[in-house]
Amino acid sequence: MTLQYDDPIVELYRESFPDFARMVRRMGGSLEEAKDSFHDALLIYLEKGKTGKLQLQSSPKAYLLGTAKICWLHTRKKGAMLSLPEGFEAATPEDPDTEEREQKLLDALQKSGKKCLELLKAFYYDHCSMDHIAGRFGFKGRRSATVQKYKCLEKVREEIKITETYAQ
Amino acid sequence: MRSDLNEIAQIDQYLFCQLSEEEGKRFEAQLLMNDALAEKVEAQRLAHRLIRLYSRKQERGRLEGIHRQLLEEPAFAHQLKTIFF
Repeated sequence: MTLQYDDPIVELYRESFPDFARMVRRMGGSLEEAKDSFHDALLIYLEKGKTGKLQLQSSPKAYLLGTAKICWLHTRKKGAMLSLPEGFEAATPEDPDTEEREQKLLDALQKSGKKCLELLKAFYYDHCSMDHIAGRFGFKGRRSATVQKYKCLEKVREEIKITETYAQ
Repeated sequence: MRSDLNEIAQIDQYLFCQLSEEEGKRFEAQLLMNDALAEKVEAQRLAHRLIRLYSRKQERGRLEGIHRQLLEEPAFAHQLKTIFF
């Protein structure tokens, strides 16, 4: 994998992670734990950015360090009393049964083609515009991209129906 | 757009609370009477959970990639080494 140097996250990562790692080390944690919590926090940061809900009181770095610390304390169960940052569900595991069921469905979907999943991610998760999506995926325009989006959603729905019927 | 695609679009609007109050009420009334529609709504709700699950896995993969690449930068790797060893 080549590194995207124009990706602003890389720069933020480079300048923030060592500070967070030091913080975790002082609290008795490992590098692996630091990385996991840091990724949880980055995911929250990115998701909030995409939905326009990111309200920074200070620098992105300070936000990230604060959020990552809460995530880390939470995984350590030391922070049960801490109120979690909004959007924290990005970092919380589902109950195991639901998780297993959803993972199975996702595996089936990935086998039947990733292009639809990528298109749906671009629209529903990354909140890209239909024009942008049309360009990226090679559609004539936003109208055909929109039609394709719903066809993909229909395909996912169908896959769910088939897999769930087999499971019963 | 095909009428079944229009239905998918409407279910999306319902799931994302984008219907007007009146449209929402009408849609919920349909749901009570139409089991097939209710089933489609539930499948679509799950579809959106799966899209989010997929997306987050992709993003986590991307972050792992960034981490690995940064570890190849001597200054970054050295900083971490001095913290943990």
